[in-house]
Amino acid sequence: MQKRVVFRNTWLPYILVAPQILVTLVFFFWPSWQALESSFYIEDAFGFSREWVGLRNYTELFADPGYLKSFRTTLIFGLCVTFLAMSISLALAVAANRVLRAATVYRTFLIWPYAVAPALAGVIWYFLMNPSLGIVSYWLRALGYDWNHYVNGEQALGMVIVAAAWKQISYNFLFFLAGLQSIPKSLVEAAAIDRAGPGRRFWTIVFPLLSPTTFFLLVVNLVYAFFDTFSLIHATTEGGPADATSILVFRVYNTGFIGQDYGSSAAQSVVLMALVVAMTFVQFRYIDRRVNY
Amino acid sequence: MAQVEIRNLGKVYPGKVRAVSGASADIADGEFIVLVGPSGCGKSTILRMIAGLEEVSEGDLFIGGDRVNDLEPGERDIAMVFQNYALYPHMTVRRNMEYGLRNEGLPKDQIAARIAEAARTLRLEEYLDRKPRQLSGGQRQRVAMGRAIVREPKAFLFDEPLSNLDAKLRTQLRAELRALHVRLGATFIYVTHDQVEAMSLADRIIVMNAGQIEQIGAPLELYQKPATRFVAEFIGTPAMNFVEARPVTAGLKIDLPEGASLPGPCAMVDQLAAPAHIGFRPEDLVLEPQDGAAGLRLDLQVMFAEQLGADTVIHARLAGQSDPVTIRVESAQNPAPGATMTAYAPNAALHVFDAATGQRL
Ligand SMILES: Nc1ncnc2c1ncn2[C@@H]1O[C@H](COP(=O)(O)OP(=O)(O)O)[C@@H](O)[C@H]1O
Ligand SMILES: [Mg+2]
Repeated sequence: MQKRVVFRNTWLPYILVAPQILVTLVFFFWPSWQALESSFYIEDAFGFSREWVGLRNYTELFADPGYLKSFRTTLIFGLCVTFLAMSISLALAVAANRVLRAATVYRTFLIWPYAVAPALAGVIWYFLMNPSLGIVSYWLRALGYDWNHYVNGEQALGMVIVAAAWKQISYNFLFFLAGLQSIPKSLVEAAAIDRAGPGRRFWTIVFPLLSPTTFFLLVVNLVYAFFDTFSLIHATTEGGPADATSILVFRVYNTGFIGQDYGSSAAQSVVLMALVVAMTFVQFRYIDRRVNY
Repeated sequence: MAQVEIRNLGKVYPGKVRAVSGASADIADGEFIVLVGPSGCGKSTILRMIAGLEEVSEGDLFIGGDRVNDLEPGERDIAMVFQNYALYPHMTVRRNMEYGLRNEGLPKDQIAARIAEAARTLRLEEYLDRKPRQLSGGQRQRVAMGRAIVREPKAFLFDEPLSNLDAKLRTQLRAELRALHVRLGATFIYVTHDQVEAMSLADRIIVMNAGQIEQIGAPLELYQKPATRFVAEFIGTPAMNFVEARPVTAGLKIDLPEGASLPGPCAMVDQLAAPAHIGFRPEDLVLEPQDGAAGLRLDLQVMFAEQLGADTVIHARLAGQSDPVTIRVESAQNPAPGATMTAYAPNAALHVFDAATGQRL
């Protein structure tokens, strides 16, 4: 049953939601509109003049091998961050759910990384893995692995993936733990009596019942990896070496503020916006249907 | 099919919560045994220890002659029906029933045959492709039973399987359960807090109180010869009445509450050496003195009467005690509140329990 408030005045509800709508309009719709508009122009670096070019910013973008490579980098980055962050947090949540009594302490500790700003998280990992100072790179070298993310593009990408995933683990953990705790214990017990071992119980009972949480987190993590990791990359690799960690959001910044090509930067933002809209659409459309059992 | 034996079973939960102590019982092959007792007395704990869902803290557990204390639930060859049904919500009815058999690695055709048979027995054929949430409570309960039946286990365990259903459905499913037991001839161990359910289902009942077994016996045995005051009060509705008896001079004079008296000799009460509770069932009270069976005479004041159709239950007060006395009489009787009446409990209907230990004397 849903509780509904009935307003006598028809305008009152509009007034009540007006501040939020206003904020959304000013801070979200207006900039989006501006980006969309400027993506059809070529503007000089000082903003004195601009010229209508139609879709040229877009055609040039998709003809640029650097941009296409960035797409690939973003895809690898996003998928790796999501997979890493989700699998580790699921494993932690399953462990925490076993020892329910200790869960509160455990939970508190695991929330901490989430309170760390992305840029800071990046810097922490940056120091840990710094080829000359970092403890992790020291260990890696002790193991005979030559670590230098200043030079090695794959290592740099690996580092930002780990840093970005680390930051997201606590958030995922909380949702997974809540999801696990909402699964009635008797289902797992019934499965145990039905001769399913621990692994089988997890994959045939727990994991399917967790699918609403998993799907929700999948979208949240992808969105995070694609769009929310700018400051992390900015604070660590700055997209380098040789564009190896230059994911799409970072490229928007780089093209606009460093390269001062506002038109192309705006076109890239519009592509990103389209991506977000598509993912949100998928989430809303499927979260109620596909995942409902 | 197998007998189940528990020997000195005890359970201490983490945090030193003692739930069960020293429980021993022999459950015969094919027996329908019901564990009954008030909520929190440790019934589920015993059942869950038998199932392997709780570790056994003390004592031994045997299924079919083998000690199974340390076996996993899946290795004990038992099936369990839970109070909340515990159906897998993401699987169809068919899948729910197949789950255990697939885990066993039974061939496909045998699985199909067993499902078909169980579905026919439980009238679930048309629901096999539905999800549990598309079923009514009674149907879900039947699916849960089906899931147990297809496994063909050594013993079936039930933890209050009917308590989430309405009264009418409960009565119906009770009959079905009884019929199922006759048909399967398997060992049933059934937990309930409802003594009427226990009486109507059981071959033998285990009455529990505060983590201990009070008495084990056939329903009528418990009704006619309760071993403790607790059992006497727990079995039977309306519950048994009690008056307190204190010997003033051992074997000579017995002090009873005001309004209660012993008009003639009564060996059980006359020889009391220590304080005792004298119990008598509402349906054993008569309104006319019986010749030859003097018993207990009660001078009562009527509080109110419940007319139930087949009979009437009169609630009355005895001057000397606060607990009321209930009397079950024919439905023609309808005394007015405040009226005085006299009732007699014949000697043969008296149950005497030691006041300190609660044991039958
Ligand atoms: N997991 C548990 N941890 C601690 N105490 C428990 C647990 N389960 C049950 N108990 C306690 O053990 C006692 C018996 O519980 P239970 O066997 O469920 O009773 P019943 O089924 O007869 O109502 C209760 O006092 C209950 O609070
Ligand atoms: Mg219980």
